[in-house]
Amino acid sequence: MDNLLYKEFKLAMHPTSLIFLSLSAMMLIPNYPYYVTFFYTSLGIFFMCLSGRENNDIFYTMMLPVRKKDIVKSRFLFVVVIQLAQVLTAIPFAYIRSLYDLPGNQVGIDANTAFFGLSFLMMGLFNLVFFTKYYKNTDKVGIAFGWGSLVMTVFMIIAEASVHIVPFMKNYLDTKDPNFIEYKLMVLVVGILVYSVLTLVAYKNSVRSFEALDF
Amino acid sequence: MSVLAVNNLYKRYEKFELDNVSFSLEQGTITGFIGRNGAGKTTTLKSLLNFVHPDSGEILFFGKGFNENEFEIKSKIGFVAGGINYYSKKKIKTITATTRRFYANWDEQANQHYMERFALDENKTPDQLSEGMKVKYALVLALSHHAELLIMDEPTSGLDPISRDDLLDVFLGLTKEGITILFSTHITSDLDKCADNIIYIQHGKVRADSDIESFLAQYKVLEFSDEQVNDDLRSKLIGSKQTKHGYSALIKSTDANNSGAKVTDADLESIMIHLEKE
Repeated sequence: MDNLLYKEFKLAMHPTSLIFLSLSAMMLIPNYPYYVTFFYTSLGIFFMCLSGRENNDIFYTMMLPVRKKDIVKSRFLFVVVIQLAQVLTAIPFAYIRSLYDLPGNQVGIDANTAFFGLSFLMMGLFNLVFFTKYYKNTDKVGIAFGWGSLVMTVFMIIAEASVHIVPFMKNYLDTKDPNFIEYKLMVLVVGILVYSVLTLVAYKNSVRSFEALDF
Repeated sequence: MSVLAVNNLYKRYEKFELDNVSFSLEQGTITGFIGRNGAGKTTTLKSLLNFVHPDSGEILFFGKGFNENEFEIKSKIGFVAGGINYYSKKKIKTITATTRRFYANWDEQANQHYMERFALDENKTPDQLSEGMKVKYALVLALSHHAELLIMDEPTSGLDPISRDDLLDVFLGLTKEGITILFSTHITSDLDKCADNIIYIQHGKVRADSDIESFLAQYKVLEFSDEQVNDDLRSKLIGSKQTKHGYSALIKSTDANNSGAKVTDADLESIMIHLEKE
């Protein structure tokens, strides 16, 4: 698995996956729909799968002494690493934003603990939709990403609208840390759990579809 | 024990089927896998490594089933599909550095040796290589992990005659080291030069599987005009076709005597052309 992960970083990774990590700095923008940062993470993953298709990545990998299942596993490990890296790099910028002598984010939710929980939820949804579709036909990356980004867009609209409409979201979750931290931590924990479950289901679906694919 | 034994490989598609393909390879031989475009060559080769899932059939590498021994088998074989058609913008040294990690028996000395022997520059990308050099680099990767069996899908297509000849010399040299080679091609003159055996596949079925001399000895080419052919002879002709000066057809060697027409030895190309005319 180490070797396959090495291959993911050395050969398969598209440079945007690393470049987009710098977009974690968007947390510094005073008023912004911060979820967009994690949309870029998904865009980097899409570019990687797209360039994999152009570079015959799967064909190359299948010639090596590896199991098909492990090809999928290494891609998921890479994705989880990149998504976690995006969260970890975003946290310090979100903290700096919270120090501004300004009101919280006027567009949508503040970059707070609950926001990261909800972002995990969004990435989990993306992983489920994108990879389940992608591994049914690895040549149709665009269609898979179309569905993946649609789900993220709908999620963002609902999530950002609800902090203006839903009283619990508005009064408890869309506040500066550490106010109502117990609720926000709960959202974070649930977000991480849901992310883990959705990604695991996506992995299982992907392995099943990928095993059956002919090249 | 055969290096590779394929028994009743069957795969059905909507408009095509591989119909109980069987053959075996002995160590240190070169086997040419011939057939026209779409005959099932690539599908067969891909089925061997599970790139394509056969509906039924048994595939044994070195006497062992592929699915149960995938790691071991993949470590002992090299699969070359054309040249290098992956990561064509990455430097060769990057591709090598990644690939070597997967093989416990990777031999850095052998790698250096073959890189020098084929005059390959590790700082180039596959895109910067000629078609012939791409095939050679693919061979280097296979030989650096001491592949005992090379399976190649049309390695000579797209190569000029000199590069092709050069590559065939390499193949001949490798068999002397005990390496077994199976390669598909539709350039039949390649096989006249170096193959021990041929497997001829037509519409997904193995039409012939034998050593090349006895395959060639089965047929003669007949060149004739309309007047030279009576009904008896006509019934023995295989795949008649028009030529510049009349007609030509294949005929079983045993039927070739006393026909009155011009009889010549058949080569692979004429056999294939006429058999495909049937």
